[in-house]
Amino acid sequence: MRKSRVALALAAAVALGGCVQTRQFADVQFTPPQGDYRLLVLRPDVTVGALTTGGMVEPRAEWTEEARSNIIAALRAQQTSRGGKLTIVEHRNELPGVPEQELADVERLNFVVDESIVEHKYLGDYLPTKRGRGLDWTLGQDAVRLGQQSGYDYALFLHAEDQVASKGRIALGLVGLAGCIVGFCAPNIGGAEQLDYASLVDLKTGEVVWFNVVDAASQVPGIKFGDLRTPQGAAQMVERLLGRMKPGQGVRRQQAAR
Amino acid sequence: MCLRCLELTRRSLLVGGGAAAAALHTGVASARIRPADMVPLVGPGFKPTDEDEKGLWHDMDRVEDEIADSNLLITDPKITGYLRDMIGTVGGPAAKDFRIYLMRIPDFNAMMFPTGFAVVFSGLLLRMRNEAQLAGVIAHECGHFLRRHEIRSWRDQRRKTDLFSIGAMLAGIGGAGAGVYLGNYVQLAQLGTLLSLFKYSREMEAEADAMGAKLIAQAGYDPMEISTVWLQLIGEEQASAAYRGKHRQRGSLFDTHPSDDARMADLRADALELKVPGKVYNSYRERYLATIGPIRPTLLDDQVKLNDPGASEYLLQTLAQDGWNGLLRFYEGEVWRLRNRPAFHDEERAAQSYAAAVVYPDAPADAWRWHGIFLLKQGRTAEAKAALAKYLAMKPGAPDAPWVRQVIG
Repeated sequence: MRKSRVALALAAAVALGGCVQTRQFADVQFTPPQGDYRLLVLRPDVTVGALTTGGMVEPRAEWTEEARSNIIAALRAQQTSRGGKLTIVEHRNELPGVPEQELADVERLNFVVDESIVEHKYLGDYLPTKRGRGLDWTLGQDAVRLGQQSGYDYALFLHAEDQVASKGRIALGLVGLAGCIVGFCAPNIGGAEQLDYASLVDLKTGEVVWFNVVDAASQVPGIKFGDLRTPQGAAQMVERLLGRMKPGQGVRRQQAAR
Repeated sequence: MCLRCLELTRRSLLVGGGAAAAALHTGVASARIRPADMVPLVGPGFKPTDEDEKGLWHDMDRVEDEIADSNLLITDPKITGYLRDMIGTVGGPAAKDFRIYLMRIPDFNAMMFPTGFAVVFSGLLLRMRNEAQLAGVIAHECGHFLRRHEIRSWRDQRRKTDLFSIGAMLAGIGGAGAGVYLGNYVQLAQLGTLLSLFKYSREMEAEADAMGAKLIAQAGYDPMEISTVWLQLIGEEQASAAYRGKHRQRGSLFDTHPSDDARMADLRADALELKVPGKVYNSYRERYLATIGPIRPTLLDDQVKLNDPGASEYLLQTLAQDGWNGLLRFYEGEVWRLRNRPAFHDEERAAQSYAAAVVYPDAPADAWRWHGIFLLKQGRTAEAKAALAKYLAMKPGAPDAPWVRQVIG
């Protein structure tokens, strides 16, 4: 925490920097899973890369593996504390009772549904037909069948990508900062960005009941808002992404009425 | 590293300034790379050791999983086995490490991924007239892997974008210090960087062409066949463009691949250089056709349904250079029937094609069906009934069988 506070202070000091943003949507009738629930995590998609001097992202195998095991550990700890039993599927052939092709179908379907959610909920292409209806997307019978075959209550899809600014990128940012002296001020050339999103599918109804995005980007190379390669950074990410699941509108209204 | 893919992102990268670009580089063509100079850079069982390459490989595992589980995959064991054997023959030192996947996409393309798995589109199998042509395309893809093109072009991109960023920063600071605005030069440098990346990409393709030609010549295939592939492709693109009243797109500075014309010319020179006098080179047409025979109707069907009559007709004519048969004639009829333009007498043309198709013993059942229907329309009822009866005999479980029975009474 101290590290990121320092980073925040630094960012504020140069009046630039980036920020951590999260934005979640839920089905109107969504209640965050609590108590005795069975959660299936399907092939968490994790990549960590180096941000080159020129601003390209170079994937790194070891960092990615570190981040993946940290995230899985953090996820396990978090869900277990809520009473959930979770299984993390790394390969499509690991789920007893579910043929590989069917799991692949659900994953592919979820991918395009997620794309649609991002398009219509996050990128401004709002649909009038879905106004006031919370998160109104479904994977349909394919997901219900997956639930019946596997015996799980929910499926969680998780994507996390993180970058680490290379020495060259940081140096370039410092040169940009030094340029302020002569009047060419460019420390904000763009730093590392962490982008995570997750969707939760109710396997009893097939509906996508909850969706969240975390974007932790910094304009100044060298400043980071959590590093997935460390257990702390991964735990922080899991907490940001899944920690504060809000119930749906309808449920909140009912609670308020009581 | 695909055979001839278009990268849409490159358009978004281009921010004008084509004229300035032309001043920087003259012409798209570069010197031909000699097959003799193409030595594989990897041995059997290659595994990456550098951090950047390990990262690239790591990412690809998931991609390969996705492709291996794709529902577009053609899994017919005879054809996939045939492709596996082929890549095992023309794959050079890495022959045993390659994986190859066939996808049902009616387009002329094939690609190699950095970890050594190749994807071949079904449209490629349709267009190849013999085994040597297919071997040429697959060997080209192997060439990308053997010459380590993915990591080399990644490093090239990284180096050039690094240099550009540093240069742009220094120009900004230097300019500010000296009180001049260098922004225009920075933009020019950006374009130069971009062009240099495309040029590098074209060089890699030229390398793969030369390497591929060398590999198939070593395996005893006629290397001249690869240049024929390009000749066929140029013809198809021209026919498709002409039909739509457009011009075929020629090479430009922003191409990731050399122009088809340049590739054809270079490959022809390669072939002449590679052929050893006295050695016998084969194209194995019979073996090829026997292998893809079972899926050829599907391939043709996918093609004619692309609604590109210019290309489809050209393709059929090209394939028919090895002799017409019932299948090709039937699909020729389909091209005209589906286009259905009265001004071009498409109905008559289709009817003629179906009539020609049923003369051959290999005419598909549907050729008899359409032949019968067109005869009915012409009022030749007796002949129509005979044709439809033949259709019913060949396909007793056809979905329209009750209707046909009713018609033929």
